[in-house]
Amino acid sequence: MKRKVSSIALNALLLILGVVTVYPFVWMIFSSFKENQEIMALEQHLLPQKFIIDNYINMNAHFNFVRFFLNSIVITVVITLIVIYTSTICGFVLSKYKFKGRNILFGFVLSTMMIPWCVTIIPKYSMIQAFGWMDSYKALIIPAMFSGFGIFMMKQHISALPDEILEAARIDGANEFYIFHKIVLPMSKNGIFSIAIFQFLWTWEDFLWPYLVITNKDKQLLAVGLKMFNGQYSTDYGALFAATAISIIPVLLIYLFFQKQFIAGIAASAVKG
Amino acid sequence: MFKKTNPLQSKSEIILRNIVVLAMVIFFTVFLIVPIGIAFAGSFHEWNPLSGTYRFLGLENYKEVFTSALFGKSMLNTVIFSAVVIFFRVGLGLGIAYAIYSTLIKYKSFFRAVYYMPVVTPMVAVAFVWKFMYNPQIGTINQIFGLDVNWLMNPKTALLAIMIMTIWKDFGYAVVMYMAGLYSLPTDALEAAKVDGANAWQTFRYITLPLLKPMTLFVIITSIISYLQAYVQILIMTEGGPGTATYLASYIIYDEAFVKYNFGYASALSFVLFVITAVFTWLSFRVSGTED
Repeated sequence: MKRKVSSIALNALLLILGVVTVYPFVWMIFSSFKENQEIMALEQHLLPQKFIIDNYINMNAHFNFVRFFLNSIVITVVITLIVIYTSTICGFVLSKYKFKGRNILFGFVLSTMMIPWCVTIIPKYSMIQAFGWMDSYKALIIPAMFSGFGIFMMKQHISALPDEILEAARIDGANEFYIFHKIVLPMSKNGIFSIAIFQFLWTWEDFLWPYLVITNKDKQLLAVGLKMFNGQYSTDYGALFAATAISIIPVLLIYLFFQKQFIAGIAASAVKG
Repeated sequence: MFKKTNPLQSKSEIILRNIVVLAMVIFFTVFLIVPIGIAFAGSFHEWNPLSGTYRFLGLENYKEVFTSALFGKSMLNTVIFSAVVIFFRVGLGLGIAYAIYSTLIKYKSFFRAVYYMPVVTPMVAVAFVWKFMYNPQIGTINQIFGLDVNWLMNPKTALLAIMIMTIWKDFGYAVVMYMAGLYSLPTDALEAAKVDGANAWQTFRYITLPLLKPMTLFVIITSIISYLQAYVQILIMTEGGPGTATYLASYIIYDEAFVKYNFGYASALSFVLFVITAVFTWLSFRVSGTED
C-alpha cells in the first residue's frame, strides 16, 4: 500500500516536470495559430479561440522564410553527412589501427573540444575573406568537415566492435576500404545516430558563423533569418511565433523519430568515456 | 607516423591510414592551429578590420582586460550563472534519474525522452520562445503566476530569468547522463549492501553516489566549458542589459569582435577565457581526486 502511494506520488511529480518541459513548445505552437489581438489580449487562453494559419502566410510575405528554411535544410544535411563519414573513418583508423603517434593524434583531437569558439572565430573569419569564400557555401561547409566531438564518439563506438569480424574479412581477402564501408560503417549505427542528431542540431542552430560569412539575403540560413526578422517586425507576434515554430519543428521531429538510438548512443559513449 | 611498424599490415591499410591521418592533420592545422596562432599574435595588436589597423601594442590589450570594470562584472555574472545553473542541472539530473531508475516508475523511456527535448532544440529559437514568455505584455509566465514583473528589463530579475531558461533547456542532458551511469553500476556492490541490511538512503548515500562520482565530474566539467562559452541566449534575450546585469564573458567577446570590430582586444579576451576554461577543468579533476 505504502509502495503504491509513493509510486503514484513520484509518477505525478515526474509528470508535472514533464508538463513544465513541454509547455513552452505547446504555448509557442498554439500561439502561432492565434490572431495578434488574441496574443495580446488581457485574458489569455492556451488554445486559439479563433484558429488561423495567416501567421505562416504573412511571415513568408515579409521575409522569404521558405527560402531560408530550404537553405538551412540543404546545408545542414550536407554538413551532417560529411561529418558522419569523416568521424567514422577517423574513428576507425584511430581505434583499429596501431601506428606511431596514434595516441598523440587522438589526444590532440580530444583537446580540440576544449577550445572556446571565440579563440578561433576571428582568424577563421579573416581567412575566409582572404580565400575569397565570403557569401559562398564553401565558407560554411569546408571549415565544418571534421569534428573533434564526432571523431571522439566514433572512436569510442568502433573500439567496441570485435576485431575477429575484421580479421575474418581480411582472411577472406577483403581490403580495408571494403572492410570500412561494408562492415564498420553499417555496424556503427548507434554511434552514427547520436553524432548525426548533435551535428544536425549544431549546424541548424549555429547563428554567428553564417551571420558573418553570408551577406546575400537569398543565401542566408534560418537562424540568422529568425534574428533579422525579430529585429524588423518585433511587434508582429503571430508571425514571430510562426517563424520560431518553423525553426524548431524539424529538429524536434528528427529527435522524436530517432530518440531511442540517439539516447542509447550518447549514453554508451559517456559511460565508456 | 607513416612508417610501417607492423609486418602484417596490408597495403590497403597503409593507404587508408595515410589518407585519413593526413586529412585530419591538414584540416586541424588549417582551421585550428593556424587560427589559434593568428589570434594569439593578434591579441598583442590593435587590430580593426574596418579601419585596416594592425599595430603592435605589446601587453596593452591584456592590461585592459584585467582593469576593465565590464569584464570584471561579466566574470562575476558568469560565475553566478554557472554555479546556479550547474547546481540545479546536477541536482535535478541526479534526482530525476534516480527516480526514473527506481522500480516505482513504469514508463522510463517516455520520461527520459520528454526531459531531453529542450536539449535538442536550437538555442536561438528557444531563446525567442522564452523572451516572449517573459514579455510582460504577451508573456505566459506572468499570466500563470499572476505576477507583474518585467523579467528581462529589471536588473534584479534579468539574470535570474536567463538562468531559469538555461536550467530548463539543459537539465535533461544530466538526466540522460545519470541514467546511463546508474544502469552501468556494478550490481554486486548494491547486492552486498542489501545483504548487509543497508536501507534505501544508506545505499544511495554510501554506494550509489560515490560510484556516480565520475559521471558527476563529467557533467560539471562539460557544463563549465559550455557556460563559459554561452552567449546566444544573452544576444537574443537581453543584449547584456539592462545596464550590465546580464553581460556574460563570451557575450563581451561577441560584442567587441563583431559589433565593435576590436579584433585585437577580443582576441586577448578570448585567450583569458581559454586559460580560465583550462584552469577550471583542471581544478575539477583535482578536487574530485579521480585520475582518469
